Parts: sequence; C-alpha cells; structure tokens
Amino acid sequence: MSNLDQSHMKKENCANQQECMQMLQSILDGEATSEQKEHFLKHHLEECMPCYKNYHLELKIRELLKTKCTGGCPSELANTIKNQINNER
Amino acid sequence: MIEETPRQHYTDTQKDSIFHGEFMPHINSMYNFAYRLTMDSDDAKDLLQDTYLKAYRFIDSFQQGTNAKAWLFRILKNSFINDYRKKSKEPSKVDYQEVESFYNSEEVDRQITPDLRVEALQDMIGDEISDALNSLDVDFKTVIILADLEEFKYDEMAKILDIPIGTVRSRLHRARNLLKEKLGEYAKKMGYNKSA
Repeated sequence: MSNLDQSHMKKENCANQQECMQMLQSILDGEATSEQKEHFLKHHLEECMPCYKNYHLELKIRELLKTKCTGGCPSELANTIKNQINNER
Repeated sequence: MIEETPRQHYTDTQKDSIFHGEFMPHINSMYNFAYRLTMDSDDAKDLLQDTYLKAYRFIDSFQQGTNAKAWLFRILKNSFINDYRKKSKEPSKVDYQEVESFYNSEEVDRQITPDLRVEALQDMIGDEISDALNSLDVDFKTVIILADLEEFKYDEMAKILDIPIGTVRSRLHRARNLLKEKLGEYAKKMGYNKSA
C-alpha cells in the first residue's frame, strides 16, 4: 500500500465518492471480486486522497468495533442454559 | 419460524452433540447480540435462554453441516422482535419504513464524509464506540453487529433478517454513515474539529 510521503501526489477530490464508498465497503466486507479489489486498493487508493483516508478510517472503525464492542456471556448464564437443556429431556 | 429444510430425526445423543458442539460455542456472540438489542442485562438473559431453549426444541429443523451460528442468530432476532421489541425501553419507536425512506434520501448521502479522522478514533479509548453503536436505531445497530462484529456475509445476513441482499447492503451503508456521524460528534467534543 502507499505511504504518506506520496500523499501530495494524490487527488484532493474524488469524482465518484459515493460509488467508491460502496466499493470500499464491499471490499472490507469480503464481497468484492479480486479484480475489483486489485483495481481499488492497488490503483485507485494510490491516486485518490479522500478514498485513501476513508479506507483507513473504515479499517480503524472496524478494528475499534471488534475490540470494544464484543463481550462474553456470564459463565453462570451459560451454566443455567446447559442445565435448562438437560431438564428438557 | 425456521428455514424450510427437511426435518431431521436426531437421536438424543446426536441432539446433545449438536447442542454442545455447534450451538454452545456461539454463546458469547449470542449474548452480546441479545444485550445490544435489549440494552438490559435481565432482558438479555431471558432472551438468550429463550433462544437456546427454542434452538433445542426445534433442533430437528437444523441441518448439520449448515451454518449453526446464522441459524441461532435468526432465532434470536425473531424472538427479540416477537417478544421483546414491544416492551423494549428504547426511546426510538419510529416505524422502520419511515426511517429507511428518510435515510435513503439524498440529504444523508451528501454529508457522508463526516469530519472524522483516524487520530480522533485512536483517542477513543473509553466507551465512545460502544455508546455510538448502542445509540443507533435497532435495525441499523443490528446490521453493524452482524457484519462488523460477527463477520456474516451479505447473503447470510439476508437470511437472518429476512430481507433482500440489496436491502442488507443499503441498510449497512446507512448504518455506517450514522455511526460515523455519531463518532464525529464525539470527536468534536474531544476537541477535534474540521480544520484541524
């Protein structure tokens, strides 16, 4: 991927921001084809500053969601459920 | 309630092995989903118990080798809608169609790039992201949980939610914009602003 030193070479505006955002999300959701990924990540991001920034923003949000918004089931509740099922039989 | 798969006839031993081997391993994700839907630990507990009990009672409708996690999430989501949503303490009682048509309007798309920067997110070390997620209307919160926390694919989400894949895609897109908007508000409060 590109590094920040190249950022001055990138376009400041994206002509297709809405479509790019949809593509970016498809890629991060694992729903894009390898051609789409190749084009977007290897070519478009190299030349488009808003998309480059959005890409890193989206990655960071996903990382935060995964680390801050997941939690475990209290073990007491898990045991209650297991016992409930044993009684069901 | 459950997929039109051919009914299985499991023995008690098979039922136990499916329950403990395929259903119980998802209990942490299921609890998190239940808690974020109900926003109340007692309700989450009841919802989770109901869901696992239903899963066991309807186990013959589950086909081994298919996605147990998606099957369980679908039961939980349906139980929530049928039994909890009405009495949920959530303030937003807006009809979803209304919300969806509002958020499908161009207004929302125009303001899609909130003044949110990675640097601001890096400083959100407390409950900001969790609070932002919880603040979303339940339908938007749900798609983010399914996609970003649980990494379900669009087609699996479509089955869990009983909506077309196109709707999954657009709802997810709106949900993420709303989440970013919320995070942008927090960033502003933390002193990050547009021109920084």
